[in-house]
Amino acid sequence: MAGSDWRDRYGTEGGGPRPASLGVMARVFSEDGLGKWALYAPTVFVILFFIVPTALTVVWSFFERTMFWMEPGFTLFSYVNFFTSARFENFLFSMLHSSVSVVVSFVVGFPIAVFVRRHVPTVAQHRVILLFILPFMVSEIIRTFMLRPVLGRNGLVNTFLTDLGVISEPITQILFTPTGVIIGEVLSFLPFIVFSGFLAMEAVPKYIFEVCQDLGASRWRTFWDIIVPLAAPGIFAGSVFIFVNGIGVALIPSILGGPGAVNAGLIATQAIIALDIPLAMAVSAIMMVTLFGLLAIGHRLFNLTKILEPQA
Amino acid sequence: MQDDYANIWGIRLQWAYLLAVVFVLMVPVFYNLYISFNEFGFGAARYEFTLDWYGVIFTDRLLTGAMGWTLALALVTVVFVVPMGLLTAKLFKQAGRRLKLTVVAVMLLPLFVPADIFASALLVFFKQLNRIFQTVAEMTGIGAFETWFELGFMTAVIGLIIYTIPYVFIVILITMGRYRAEQTEAARSCGATAWRAFWDVEFPQIRAGVFSSCAFTVILAFNEYVRTSTLKGGFDTFTSVLVSQMLNIGMSEQSYAMGGLISAVAITVIGSIIVFTLVRTDRLQRIERAKAQPVGAD
Repeated sequence: MAGSDWRDRYGTEGGGPRPASLGVMARVFSEDGLGKWALYAPTVFVILFFIVPTALTVVWSFFERTMFWMEPGFTLFSYVNFFTSARFENFLFSMLHSSVSVVVSFVVGFPIAVFVRRHVPTVAQHRVILLFILPFMVSEIIRTFMLRPVLGRNGLVNTFLTDLGVISEPITQILFTPTGVIIGEVLSFLPFIVFSGFLAMEAVPKYIFEVCQDLGASRWRTFWDIIVPLAAPGIFAGSVFIFVNGIGVALIPSILGGPGAVNAGLIATQAIIALDIPLAMAVSAIMMVTLFGLLAIGHRLFNLTKILEPQA
Repeated sequence: MQDDYANIWGIRLQWAYLLAVVFVLMVPVFYNLYISFNEFGFGAARYEFTLDWYGVIFTDRLLTGAMGWTLALALVTVVFVVPMGLLTAKLFKQAGRRLKLTVVAVMLLPLFVPADIFASALLVFFKQLNRIFQTVAEMTGIGAFETWFELGFMTAVIGLIIYTIPYVFIVILITMGRYRAEQTEAARSCGATAWRAFWDVEFPQIRAGVFSSCAFTVILAFNEYVRTSTLKGGFDTFTSVLVSQMLNIGMSEQSYAMGGLISAVAITVIGSIIVFTLVRTDRLQRIERAKAQPVGAD
């Protein structure tokens, strides 16, 4: 009988020896103890090598610095060192630049998410969003480094504008200034506001647009009073991502910002190089508290899990 | 009453805007490729097409060695992270609301933490673990685990797994979204073991997601710099050589070629996946439509 052949080939639950080659995988995917616990293994791994180290940064930030490492103790020296030096001022400036990057990314990227949701047929929406995967998958290092020849004195932008006759002298106020950092952050992180904005827009039923049109609401009113509140969880998640990475990714200010541009990521990296481990951990802890604080506030205000619950 | 659909030029303008934004995001990459094919490099008045700078990459032993290490890191990461993403997606599908929330939070949080901050935390964590293990080894005289967490290949792989697992989890979860649990139940009712139900019924339907996540992981591992360079110990990776060249001797023609090579591989692989996905989706939709036609209808 075909059915019994099938059982002979693949094995059944009901006893009889299993083929030896299936032994390990069959146990992993069975519903007995090992199979059940195997499902939890990756989560435990991430907790062990991500949650625990990031949580421990808070503990290590209170340790005392030694010549080459740190030793257990309780001191606020690293925090005092951070908050009373120029580092804190730099950190505040990097927060300001990051905030500007968030606003620019929202203004440039979110309308794309709205457009795709509203005007692109449902079957094609994900395909259009896939276009933004392409720049995101090219190394951030290359995209950031290449902004030097693009924005530099003899770079692409200046050459193009000079050839068009728009400018007579090359613009030199972009590269190695806060503007360069903001451009770098926007170009690096913009796809995230499109992705999270699109996910958020999936929570906005399409008939909402029709209702607004039927009631004669202006585009601005529809956008501000209807779309933004409904898409708030996604907008918030994307904004937090850009903000935190703006103050935490060292590469962008060190490549595009010139000598004075410093953010939290750069401070932590420099502290590690200088073997001031507690200071590096204090900066990491401040970043973590900022991130989790923002996510907690966002979750309380907007219920961020809504991003994962698309409407029809 | 306004009707956006009536304004075809408005729609076209918005399409043009969308494509312009994608183009602007890609300008640095295209410019890199353009310069890398110029015999005279960046800023030269003359432009002559050449592949010589790419040839230089493959004759440089430092670079080929670094490429080998990077490939090894990428492949080992794939071997671990893809099954991990798959298991987590399965856990997510079976979990109740509370556990789902915990799994999503744990798996997606690494996305939000900046590379430098995470790399610093993990570096100190490994060093501390190493110190603890060394102390235990001294006390017990058992040296087997003394060097477990010394910086090297394994610590770099751990860093890459944490970096890539959110992407793998999301991609597999999305493809799993189309799979109905009733199919597994039917297979089990027919007498299949859980493994056979997975391998013969579920896996073929999520295969595209699994292979896409393999490709994403390789690309992300090749592109990664901060976590790998902080946690790798003594060997060089492609991006660490590239960045040290860029910082120490500036952007040379060889640097442009190295950047061009990584970008071209990433664009080709991701572009192929996008095209394959589009073609496959179209084919499946055509089959669905054909099945939905009444029997005998033309």
